[in-house]
Amino acid sequence: MSNQNRSPNAELGLLDATMIGMGAMIGAGIFVLTGLAAEIAGPAAIIVFALNGAVTAFTGLSYAELAASIPKSGGGYAFVREIFDDFASFIMGWMLWFAYMIAGALYALGFAPNFLELLHVYGLVAPPGEVGAIAIPLIDLSVPLAFLLAFVAVLALVALNAVSTAASGSAETIFTIIKVSILVVFVLFGLSSPMFSGAEFQPLFPSNGGAAAILPAMGLTFIAFEGYDLITTVTEEVKNPRENIPKAIFLSLIATVIVYLAVVTVAVGTLGADGLANAGEAGIATAATSFMPTGLPIIQNGGALIVFGAVFSTLTALNAVVIASSRVAFSMGREGQLLPSFGRLHHRYGTPFVAILASAVVMLGSVALPTQSAGNMSSLFFLLSFVIVNVAVIRLRRERPAMNRPYKMPFYPAPPLIGIALNLLLTVVLVEYLFRTDPLAIVLSVGWIALGGVAYLGLKRVGSESEPDAETDKTMASDSEADL
Amino acid sequence: MTTTRDVIIAGGGRVGFQTAEILADRGHDVTIIEREEAVINSIADEWVATVIAGDATNPNIIEQAGVEDADVIAALTGETGLNLAVCLAAAELSPSIRTVARIDRAAGESYTRFVDALVFPERAGARTAANEIIGSDVQTLADVTATLDIMLIRIAEEAPAAGKQLSEVRFPDGTLVISDGEGDRVARSETTLTAGDRYLVAVEPAVADEVMNLLRG
Repeated sequence: MSNQNRSPNAELGLLDATMIGMGAMIGAGIFVLTGLAAEIAGPAAIIVFALNGAVTAFTGLSYAELAASIPKSGGGYAFVREIFDDFASFIMGWMLWFAYMIAGALYALGFAPNFLELLHVYGLVAPPGEVGAIAIPLIDLSVPLAFLLAFVAVLALVALNAVSTAASGSAETIFTIIKVSILVVFVLFGLSSPMFSGAEFQPLFPSNGGAAAILPAMGLTFIAFEGYDLITTVTEEVKNPRENIPKAIFLSLIATVIVYLAVVTVAVGTLGADGLANAGEAGIATAATSFMPTGLPIIQNGGALIVFGAVFSTLTALNAVVIASSRVAFSMGREGQLLPSFGRLHHRYGTPFVAILASAVVMLGSVALPTQSAGNMSSLFFLLSFVIVNVAVIRLRRERPAMNRPYKMPFYPAPPLIGIALNLLLTVVLVEYLFRTDPLAIVLSVGWIALGGVAYLGLKRVGSESEPDAETDKTMASDSEADL
Repeated sequence: MTTTRDVIIAGGGRVGFQTAEILADRGHDVTIIEREEAVINSIADEWVATVIAGDATNPNIIEQAGVEDADVIAALTGETGLNLAVCLAAAELSPSIRTVARIDRAAGESYTRFVDALVFPERAGARTAANEIIGSDVQTLADVTATLDIMLIRIAEEAPAAGKQLSEVRFPDGTLVISDGEGDRVARSETTLTAGDRYLVAVEPAVADEVMNLLRG
């Protein structure tokens, strides 16, 4: 429960809530991850995104039920805290916090090449791909440049959110509409472009992996659909939440899947899966510059509009996860699951200052990671967190049958069970894939969980030592209440 | 831990619901136990608390409300006997819990032998009515305003604002520190917020949890 938008007139309607979810899901994932998915799964990237949408819908049902019955704004962590014991809820918060921070690094890393591409469109720098490929002495310069840009982007948004609470809120609706409109322009021009060809989808599956290549690609891009957790972090501000939150979760999910499918179809159809894969984080931007009309007034190149969309989306998504990660750490501090200073507002800025700074340290460190490792780890931790949320639904139904549930999912217990099974399957496939291709991500993930175990034990010890303090605080508080 | 309390309120009617709303505004965790379907739906619309549907004297229902981890249970239904039973049952299930029961007549005050605290909303309401009728200049703090809270707040040791001068602390709009630590001077910008001292503060409900965070940690 932080202080953003506590003024009584800041009420979000169904549209706003839906847009917050879509903003996070369409935000950066579509620009950053499409190229990476094409690299692993080829033209089947389109199936990857469709199946991920289906898998995540089961967890979406769980989120809808929990969010409608537990009136707290902490997202997944708040729900799990409601039913699980100290350690399980700590680990959930710890993982979700990390997932958001790494997502922040991922979006910053996606921002940098797209920003370079935007400068390139106007002839200010060499094409991002060619800088490294042609001029070898420039590698040393160009790689740090992208890294530096990502670093500066994180630093700027962290600073903004640390000293002001204005960067969050209902402006998100406008941002999302801008992003979606830009993508609609992309899809319309792409479909009518002579470059678009159904032949690019043959063969659908990559020759080296076959249909099995879909699974690791699904794991890698799972993070694209984490947006409904973000909807449930603002439920407090939503009008008539018991009806609007479940609706917003489903609407944003359906709309997002449609947008993804349309965009990926156009990107693969025009650029081909290989071309898309080569463009990496700037995949959509590269596809756009290849077919958008040139010679337009003011912006000159129509592709620049899409590249601008990519820059804008990665930045707003980065802003959203800076806020989300600090909210998770702030709630954990309030619950005594991190140092109490995490749960305090800054005396001057009114922001969860310590929580934001701590999140910033991890994010800035993670910017040094390869983009793919950041995506891998973020997806891994969202998968694990969502498994726990599904378990929480089942436990709440068993242990608190009398709890009022304004929204009850249909066909219980099938959806959470299927959700758990599918999320675990993707986790296993992703972990196996990481062992083969990205040991760094495995080491860092295990390291983070181990660090969590140490932090938990350390906090337990600190907590038990300061127990007398807590007692005096309690009696003081009740004294003052009695005097009133 | 910190100042967030885990509170169970038995009875989500007028008194119970208003109480839940105030507590939730201040950032506490509230669970309401309520029997009536219509009341449950109106609580769900207001989005202040988790609701357990059932009879608050049923041990199974009290357990589902999370009595083991709760700090306080407040039985606020209109029936004194029922409230007493709820508090006794909760204390039986979780001996360390603080119990608060609503009573409907002064004779109920002897119940402090069984519960930690009593509330008598009818008398508080009557006092307000009496104040209004007489039009007296002297009024109880809680009754002066409609939604504005005038609170006496003791600064916690580890609170963000502890030891700071008022000019250094930026409170959200809708906050006014009225009196200084001794209570004999109006607060000025150079007034220091000393930990352990109490200050009279006017707060609008929308920013109450933020102010509590700054002053109480």
